[in-house]
Amino acid sequence: MSDIPTGHISIDELENVQITIGKIVGAIEKKAMEEGVVVGPTPKPGISDLRDWDYKLLSRYQPVYTPVCDQCCYCTFGKCDLGGNKEGACGINMEAHQARETLLRVITGAAAHAGHGRHILHHLIGIYGHDKPIDVGPSNLLAPNTQAVTGIKPETLGDLEEVMDYVEEQLTQLLATIHAGQEGAAMDFESKILHGGMLDHVGMEVSDLAQVSCMGMPKSDPEAPLVEIGMGCIDSSKPVLLVIGHNVAGVTNIMDYIHDHGLEDKMELAGLCCTAIDMTRYQMDKGGKPHAKVIGTLAKELKMIRSGVPDVIVVDEQCVRADVLDEAKKLSIPVITTNEKIMYGLRNRSKDSPAEIIEDLASGKEAGALILNFDVLGEVAPELAIKMSKIRDEMGIKALPSEEELRELSAKCVQCGACEMDCPDNLPIMEAMKTGAEGDYTKFEYLHDMCIACGRCDQACPKDIPVLNMIEKASQKLIREEKGLMRAGRGQVSDPEIRQEGVNLVLGTTPGIIAMVGCSNYPSGTKDLYTVADEMLKRNYIVVMSGCSAMDLGMYKNEDGETLYEKYPAKFLAGNLINVGSCVSNSHITGTAIKVAAIFAQRQVSGNYEEIADYITNRIGAVGVAWGAYSQKAASIASGCNRLGIPVVVGPHGSKYRRALIGKPYEEEHWKVYDARDGSEMPIPASPEFLLTTAESIEELFPMLAKNCIRPSDNNMGRMIKLTHYMELSQKYLGHMPEDWYKFVRTETDLPLAKREELLKMLEKDHGWEIDWKRKKILSGPTMKSDVSAQPTNVKRLCKGEC
Amino acid sequence: MADEFPFEISPMFEGERIRKDGMYAELAGPKSKGFELVRAADMDEVEDGKFTLIGPDISDMEEGSRHPLAMIYKIAGELVEADLESIVERRNHEFQNYIQGFMHLNQRDDVWMRVSKDAVAKGMTSFEAVAKAIMMLFKNELPFIEKVEAIYITDMDEIEKEIENAKAVYKSRDERTRDLHDEDVDTFYGCTLCASFAPTNVCVVTPDRISLCGAINWFDGRAAAKVDPEGPQFAIPKGDVIDAESGEYTGVNEAAKRLSSGEYDRIKLHSFFEYPHTSCGCFEVVGFYIPEVDGIGWVDRDFAGTAPNGLQFSTMAGQTGGGKQVVGFLGVGVNYFRSPKFIQSDGGWDRVVWMPKMLKDKIADSMPEDIREKIATEEDASDVDSLRNFLKGKNHPIIEKWEEEEAEEEEAPEAAAPQEGYATPQMQMPANFMPPMPAMGGGGSGGVKIILKNAKVSIDKVIIKKQD
Repeated sequence: MSDIPTGHISIDELENVQITIGKIVGAIEKKAMEEGVVVGPTPKPGISDLRDWDYKLLSRYQPVYTPVCDQCCYCTFGKCDLGGNKEGACGINMEAHQARETLLRVITGAAAHAGHGRHILHHLIGIYGHDKPIDVGPSNLLAPNTQAVTGIKPETLGDLEEVMDYVEEQLTQLLATIHAGQEGAAMDFESKILHGGMLDHVGMEVSDLAQVSCMGMPKSDPEAPLVEIGMGCIDSSKPVLLVIGHNVAGVTNIMDYIHDHGLEDKMELAGLCCTAIDMTRYQMDKGGKPHAKVIGTLAKELKMIRSGVPDVIVVDEQCVRADVLDEAKKLSIPVITTNEKIMYGLRNRSKDSPAEIIEDLASGKEAGALILNFDVLGEVAPELAIKMSKIRDEMGIKALPSEEELRELSAKCVQCGACEMDCPDNLPIMEAMKTGAEGDYTKFEYLHDMCIACGRCDQACPKDIPVLNMIEKASQKLIREEKGLMRAGRGQVSDPEIRQEGVNLVLGTTPGIIAMVGCSNYPSGTKDLYTVADEMLKRNYIVVMSGCSAMDLGMYKNEDGETLYEKYPAKFLAGNLINVGSCVSNSHITGTAIKVAAIFAQRQVSGNYEEIADYITNRIGAVGVAWGAYSQKAASIASGCNRLGIPVVVGPHGSKYRRALIGKPYEEEHWKVYDARDGSEMPIPASPEFLLTTAESIEELFPMLAKNCIRPSDNNMGRMIKLTHYMELSQKYLGHMPEDWYKFVRTETDLPLAKREELLKMLEKDHGWEIDWKRKKILSGPTMKSDVSAQPTNVKRLCKGEC
Repeated sequence: MADEFPFEISPMFEGERIRKDGMYAELAGPKSKGFELVRAADMDEVEDGKFTLIGPDISDMEEGSRHPLAMIYKIAGELVEADLESIVERRNHEFQNYIQGFMHLNQRDDVWMRVSKDAVAKGMTSFEAVAKAIMMLFKNELPFIEKVEAIYITDMDEIEKEIENAKAVYKSRDERTRDLHDEDVDTFYGCTLCASFAPTNVCVVTPDRISLCGAINWFDGRAAAKVDPEGPQFAIPKGDVIDAESGEYTGVNEAAKRLSSGEYDRIKLHSFFEYPHTSCGCFEVVGFYIPEVDGIGWVDRDFAGTAPNGLQFSTMAGQTGGGKQVVGFLGVGVNYFRSPKFIQSDGGWDRVVWMPKMLKDKIADSMPEDIREKIATEEDASDVDSLRNFLKGKNHPIIEKWEEEEAEEEEAPEAAAPQEGYATPQMQMPANFMPPMPAMGGGGSGGVKIILKNAKVSIDKVIIKKQD
């Protein structure tokens, strides 16, 4: 093209010329204007634009830090000891540094999702073009998070690029503030944390919108199929191809190859982590039964590899163990990396022929390959698995110790306790070794159920005992029976579903929404998830699952051999159990809350984040639970919920970040809002009581969940039902009435129906309330009055007459 | 808490199912007989808290056996009236299910109950405790019940004696519901239960108009307003009739003005085009005007396809709602189709041209017979052209209107000013009803500046000429 001179060029005849324009800057605003969409005050907010809202939240829900480590090791002016109110060399104090640590985690998590989103969007635009419409189900509001944050109403894949540009730019701005000599105020770091969390939900939404639109994944489908899950689902006599990670892009080429070549019955395709979830969503929008099987979460990675069952391992990105290649090498399992985020030092074979690559890997000349060309990957992975299966069979790969060895290894243990010290759950390994030396391996089976296969025990053992392998060997029978069922990810909750459930939500007969998110590693194994979900489902809460929790819930069966996915239907309705999908589908949970505001109150969504968040804070009784470990991504997801006023409870492992956002119910000035009808102040109940806090046990968790679904705008029926469950759960699990129950009572109709008379007596006797016993009415006592038409808001400008 | 009853009572047991192997006894149901009945009575006819059992009690029943069961509750109180019987009766279902180990299905003379083995083991050995719990719940929830007594019958002969009487009561109640119309009452009911979510919505519930969500009918409103006149459901005095046809009343207009803080001052209860009722968020069905055929289509939440105007339920539902009065779209409850005043101001059923088949089948028996076959479904018409052809082919009454209009246009081409009422298809559509196509091109005079960034232009052949 260097022949074309600068200056004017006139083109006389254009014949058969097609000009493809990727995007036109300003077109979205123009289109929005044409369609009469009003964009709110903060489209594409920068770090400071929603700061006032954050400060409102943070003044009620004040950050609490209980650091484990008093030092800052970020730069070589230090290490600096920040203990005892000392400042570091750069002047930073303990609070600000603790908030900065969380910010770093949150934006790391957000970047993992956004990076995933950018990758898959780029990949899909390459295949389907910029004009491919976004098609995620029968909804009007297709991208609630995106629209609320950026003001963009995306209709095509191409529209999503501008959204990603915004997210990436903001993440860079946030990352910059981690550097020495930037932000100094903990409160502003906290505001940035909320900003990062909000961005995360946009990045996640883009990822899932793109893949649901293009990959035939279920579109808001309550009938999404049930899929097999667990190590026991794998037929190890067939060649086994194992994929690990979160980004299904390349894996779909493998699935297409298997399908096109009729290999479904000849081999097993199994997945770990969210790639597995998304494999079972691929091409399932018309129903059917997925061929791919789900093994489980990150906690099964090492167990699965060490079982020696996989013949080839393909990894993409996120939540993939760093030692996959080393572990696989020991068992002659070739590893293929497929994403720039994980390359393990392998040679880039993207341009080589499949035959060459297969030859090099099958012969053991190379332990693995980096293949970024998905067409090549699609052919290499399954063909190699078929080839390796035979080769590895002939090699007689022995993965786990024999029964005989099990006993010998147990006897080697000197009961030093190093393994238990290092075990994240302090599991009783020494006990198992003791009885193992006598030939009784049942205690290893107990370990298997609780163990998250991190492998730290192996590292800690001074006698080099392969503890994890022993646990796995001793639990072979259990593992063979490890078969569950999980509802394939259904994607968004559609607008019509929200309208339908709206009757219950609005009239108050659905007591709340419980979102169980986050990673594995629950104090009592998957049973915890089952117990929590089952109890809340029985009580008609809507329980929403995603990612790792969604998989783990499918692993636990009740005495009838049933998983909860079989027991409860999967609509967005009271008492239903929903799996939205993989990690990036978490955005649909917040998206649902945004849709409620858009649908019931006709709140303008575009670029109107503060008003939407304010609506959700005061009206929508939803609580998130991250009961297991809490990765950077989970921290980021929770922070995004927090900015919308959705509280999150973390379990014992999640508490290790040692930061909480807690309100003080006794400080009355924090529990007041405006009534938007006239701008007057009105007192509200102290709920949600926190935005982020810890529960030590599920017994403590239950009443917290019920109580924190209470919202200022509850009508009497809603309050009565919420209060009923709060009191019942407290009695059932803690053995006593909650101390503060009466603070949520505004009128006698708020009182649980079955105990009304008894509670009135208590109010009179213990709290000095006046009761008209003939009419069974409360005459005086409550600090709040019940007015269903009151319009609680935290934002003065939203009051009538203010703007 | 005091343990008055030998069982737990909580809404959490509502979903409890008692299967055959966990069942101690089955009561009524398809293989036996029974019913539930609530009757209003005078104060002196009811002995508060009294329980009478005719026939064997739970403790007399063998494990795994089946028995008939009838439950009669007599209620009395200053505000109790026969119109409230069905509201109380429906609570029997809900409240019996609150009891752990007791399952209640269906209603009236179709009731079917089971008692679980666990419950009997824990002490549910008598119907008395069950009946007392229900009576307690009745009085707690509906304090206008000052006295209540219960009679349970497990004796087949006795039930057979009583069941005809019960059936007669159901029948006369149904007739009363069917024959009760807007003109027969002087009070309507307003419902703001959903105002906590949908701030400006005000539902007006009348005998001929159920709430949009489908959950509250006139009788429900009446009962709730008696319990708490200042609560979320309250009386709206009808006031004077302004126009009976379209359903405009002074009382409703005043209430609309007051409750919407002056945003609306007129509501016509049975009108689609003029001052229609506001729509909340959870309406079951949305109606939409199809200008090409001058008719109205209806689409319900369960229909995932597109209507003949090319739009889905969610898109159209998104146009209205949030308590706004939007001309051209109207949210309603399914039972409004069964109202004899169904959009009567706009021609009623004669104006209806399309609805999804599932919805049509559901309400077919309430449609006037002569129109039933003339309303298209997705099987007959998927776009406006096929709809027009279908209507022509079936000689739908709307065709007369087309002819009228054509005639009018010929006669008075200048008379374009919209008139009020039935014959006025011209109406303002919401600004965003049909998004206009984005203007393409952009000529020089418009002053549009186009910046191409990262644009890929593929051109087979370029001829470059020097500028003269």
